[in-house]
Amino acid sequence: MIKLTDVRKSYAGKVVLDGIDLAVQAGEVVSILGGSGAGKSTIVNCINGLVAPDSGSVLLDEFSVANRKGLREIRKKCATVFQNFNLYPHLTNIENITLAPVRVLGVEPKNALADAHDLLHSVGLNEHADKYPAQLSGGQKQRIGICRALAMSPDYLLLDEITSSLDPEMTAEVVDVLKLLVDKGMTMILVTHELNVARSISSRIVFLEAGRILVDVHRDVFFSDAFLDENRRIKSFIASANGL
Amino acid sequence: MSFLSDIGPFIPALWDGFLTTAAVSAASILGSFVVGTALAVVATYGGRIAAMAATIYIEAFRNISFLVLIFFFYFGLPELGIFISAFWTGVLVLSLAVGAYVADAISAGLTNVQGGVKDAATAFGLTTAQRIRLLELPLALRVSLRPLGSLFVNLILTTSILSTITLNELTNAAKIIASTTFRPFEVYFLLLILYSILTYLCSVIVHRMHVRANRFLAT
Ligand SMILES: Nc1ncnc2c1ncn2[C@@H]1O[C@H](COP(=O)(O)OP(=O)(O)OP(=O)(O)O)[C@@H](O)[C@H]1O
Ligand SMILES: [Mg+2]
Repeated sequence: MIKLTDVRKSYAGKVVLDGIDLAVQAGEVVSILGGSGAGKSTIVNCINGLVAPDSGSVLLDEFSVANRKGLREIRKKCATVFQNFNLYPHLTNIENITLAPVRVLGVEPKNALADAHDLLHSVGLNEHADKYPAQLSGGQKQRIGICRALAMSPDYLLLDEITSSLDPEMTAEVVDVLKLLVDKGMTMILVTHELNVARSISSRIVFLEAGRILVDVHRDVFFSDAFLDENRRIKSFIASANGL
Repeated sequence: MSFLSDIGPFIPALWDGFLTTAAVSAASILGSFVVGTALAVVATYGGRIAAMAATIYIEAFRNISFLVLIFFFYFGLPELGIFISAFWTGVLVLSLAVGAYVADAISAGLTNVQGGVKDAATAFGLTTAQRIRLLELPLALRVSLRPLGSLFVNLILTTSILSTITLNELTNAAKIIASTTFRPFEVYFLLLILYSILTYLCSVIVHRMHVRANRFLAT
């Protein structure tokens, strides 16, 4: 379980997270929606430890980001996929995938390589194993990003707008991979601007505005007419998102 | 023709000088690279005091006359009971001095490494040391190779100053030959060519490395 309790974060007096309470159970897929600057990435980065909250607690299973040992365990159990891929440009695609398993988890290089080939195969990129990230399209890069995360055999996946720099066709490639993960019961937190993506793979939707959680409801409720009529702000958010 | 017959007997001496210059250059390039990398890492990632010490070192050595430094080490150290050969004094001083410039070039590369790469490495649980060694330094070096190339060319040219501490390198050999044959014009012309060969070789090697290392990097 991922559990955030009253998490607060400010930058130079500007409140970015204003008391976030969020619990994600094993097997859930939670989408975080919200306008630009709402604090979505900051939530994700509080979980993987890239951002240290000012106050409140972030727990993953029994581990806390607040202490070194907890953070180390959390980073082994919970992998992140980034909007801009953040691949290591000087390493081949397969080296990108095997680096952390070998260096952080202590997997035998031979086994890590075999696992990486299996992962590449599952996303249809096996023939690109020994190429470099710069030689791939955006959709292919992001599938490498997903493989890099999955190579950690994570219990949790954090996905921060992983399709927003991709065109629709590439997005579809990546969403297909996500659907496979949903079927396997992977626990995921998905930040997205794309309502279709949220709708097709998540079980719950969290709507964030100015660092606060406005609603946290089941996917079917979120997209129902009755709910949207009650929540005008969300309705207009959806209208403008669809208009893009 | 008569120049060739005049200079013929001195070719072995000149060749020896050439080899000495090449050797002192190669050892100093290696040394300055090690010194510079270590300084850059400490200046960039070290704690406040260590980083400050590294920065002071870098600034200090960039503002000291090389000739004075070489005299200080070669004539000063024996007074303290430390005796090193002219060759190794040269390597030591060149490594320490050029290392300061190398540190600057590599530091610039380190600060240019994309934040995204660091974020990914951190989020995936790599330690700071692993991150520096496996990702940030290799990426920084790709950017720094070109400026390092000019530093190393300069280093090769600077080795001629080691003739002042009696090292029998190329310039010293040429001096002796010029004063014996009374043909300074031809001898020093030859010297120019020999230095050019070394620096050209250095440039070509660094350029090759640069192209190879950056082959598949997005710009
Ligand atoms: N390191 C930082 N220093 C200062 N301000 C920051 C920093 N990181 C984020 N912010 C600010 O915090 C706010 C929330 O940022 P965050 O990245 O979490 O938003 P977001 O919801 O992910 O937005 P987007 O949809 O644009 O990615 C923004 O106003 C941003 O400018
Ligand atoms: Mg964001």
